[in-house]
Amino acid sequence: MKVRTIALNTFGSFLRNKVIILFCSLFVCIVLLMMSPLLAFKSMTNAANAQQMQGFLLNEIASVMSTVSGFGSLLAAWAAADSVAGEMKSGTILAVMARPLHRWQFLAGKYLGTLLLMAVYVVAMLGVTFLLAWLGGQHFQTSLWTLLAYPMVRYAVWAAISLLLVTVLHPVLVIGAIAVLATLVQVFGSAMSHIPHWIRLPVHLVLPLTSLLSEQRFLTITKASLRTFPWTNHVIALAYGLNYAFVCFLLAVAVFQRRSLSRD
Amino acid sequence: MAAPAIEFSSVTKTYRRRFGGDRIPALSQVSFEVARGEVCAFLGPNGAGKTTSMSVLMGFTYADEGESRVFGYPPGDVRAKERIGFVPENFAFYRYLTAETLMQFHLRLSGRKVTAPEALIAELIAKVKLDGYKGLKVGKYSRGMVQRLGIAQALVGNPELLILDEPTSGLDPAGRKEVRDLILSLKAEGKSIFLSSHILSEVEQVCDRVIIIDRGRLVRSGALQEMLAEGNRVEIIVDQLPESLAQAARELGATLEPEAGRVRLSIEASKKRVLAETLWAGGSDILSLTPLKSSLEDTFLKLVGGGTP
Repeated sequence: MKVRTIALNTFGSFLRNKVIILFCSLFVCIVLLMMSPLLAFKSMTNAANAQQMQGFLLNEIASVMSTVSGFGSLLAAWAAADSVAGEMKSGTILAVMARPLHRWQFLAGKYLGTLLLMAVYVVAMLGVTFLLAWLGGQHFQTSLWTLLAYPMVRYAVWAAISLLLVTVLHPVLVIGAIAVLATLVQVFGSAMSHIPHWIRLPVHLVLPLTSLLSEQRFLTITKASLRTFPWTNHVIALAYGLNYAFVCFLLAVAVFQRRSLSRD
Repeated sequence: MAAPAIEFSSVTKTYRRRFGGDRIPALSQVSFEVARGEVCAFLGPNGAGKTTSMSVLMGFTYADEGESRVFGYPPGDVRAKERIGFVPENFAFYRYLTAETLMQFHLRLSGRKVTAPEALIAELIAKVKLDGYKGLKVGKYSRGMVQRLGIAQALVGNPELLILDEPTSGLDPAGRKEVRDLILSLKAEGKSIFLSSHILSEVEQVCDRVIIIDRGRLVRSGALQEMLAEGNRVEIIVDQLPESLAQAARELGATLEPEAGRVRLSIEASKKRVLAETLWAGGSDILSLTPLKSSLEDTFLKLVGGGTP
């Protein structure tokens, strides 16, 4: 009940947060900008260049989806960091924590509030995906739940990492650290086979393998995921993500338990 | 025997800078108790450690040494916080909420079960005279209104102990009187109140006990009446004072202040009779004899050497 109260209040504050409103407006602008070449390609398509245009369209859709998805990770990290840091900065945390509330309940409320925001984002992202597929004249052959579950778990991981970092760092530094971490994930993800085993193991343990949680892995608009991916793969991948997020959340609670609460 | 509302035993707290390792002592071996049903003022100049002490009590920050308890529970324990209403200094709020929604939020967090929450919230809002602002976002409130809302939210869980950090800051004289009356009515209901304030004349009107700290150390703790009575002196005005009588008065510990056509003498109340009889027997005519009661401000200034309370 108390966690839900904090979560709903956090979600309400996100809807009024200027940075997040700006963030979402930017998201809409980028999607719209990226859609204009898509529409241009579509209008130029004729019988002679149909196959070539099809390739353009699919590339364009893939890049829009990847941008939107990456944007979501950043939004999840920022929202989680700001939800805690904002309360510390303004001092509202003092009146809240004066209530019969455990510190973990406060953090859990903040985390759930962030996930609520990301759920709205994922639904919007799904809408954009459907819109693009429709514009590209393609059909979805993958099941809907994967398009909801995978990005949600991925964002849950980034939000939990951010929550852990914000218990010790300024939110701007948190976003910097998240950007560095995301770059490392990309670098190690693409060059993992060239890295010696003794480095590979700790990297696997510490860095989140968000590429494993990417719906891009199995989602191409023309292919079905369930044919190529057995359900056990989905379960393992999602369980990995949830476990990673849970560990980060527990670490955040442990650090937050010992820190002083004051107006920053 | 029931545990006191607040126990502070040899509490020490030192702040450390994150980089550089400087150590700033905030509290040093501070010990005191606040009994149940008592209204206790916590005084000290700026930077004396009042807010740090309150933060330790609320479990916001941890003491390096010593022990503190609220109703027998360690600070930050949910069972203790269920019985506390807290108003932080410069109460901060969610600017996008109205007073009603903010109170609902705090009521839910307090865990208090009430059959008619709207009626309770309306009653508390009316109690702090904010009932004419229905629907107005808290972000539009004046500082005084926010402070009053802070007091209302502290009462929402029906606490046994109120911890008020500067509850009248930002309020005009009328608002201060309302808060004072509210504290007196809460005292009449048997609630324990622990408050810090810079307005010592108000403290004198509502408090039973006073705790004074300075530079992180406890300098005085005791009943307000005792503290005020200790400084009791008597002023005697005589028409003239020969040197022999002046000498005798000085030997009794009196201070002399000659004025045009009369002399003003000040002496501890316990010696007033001896001095008066000496003066009378020596031929001085006593024009007046007036008790001089010291104020809390006098006591405070004497103890902390002129720091702003």
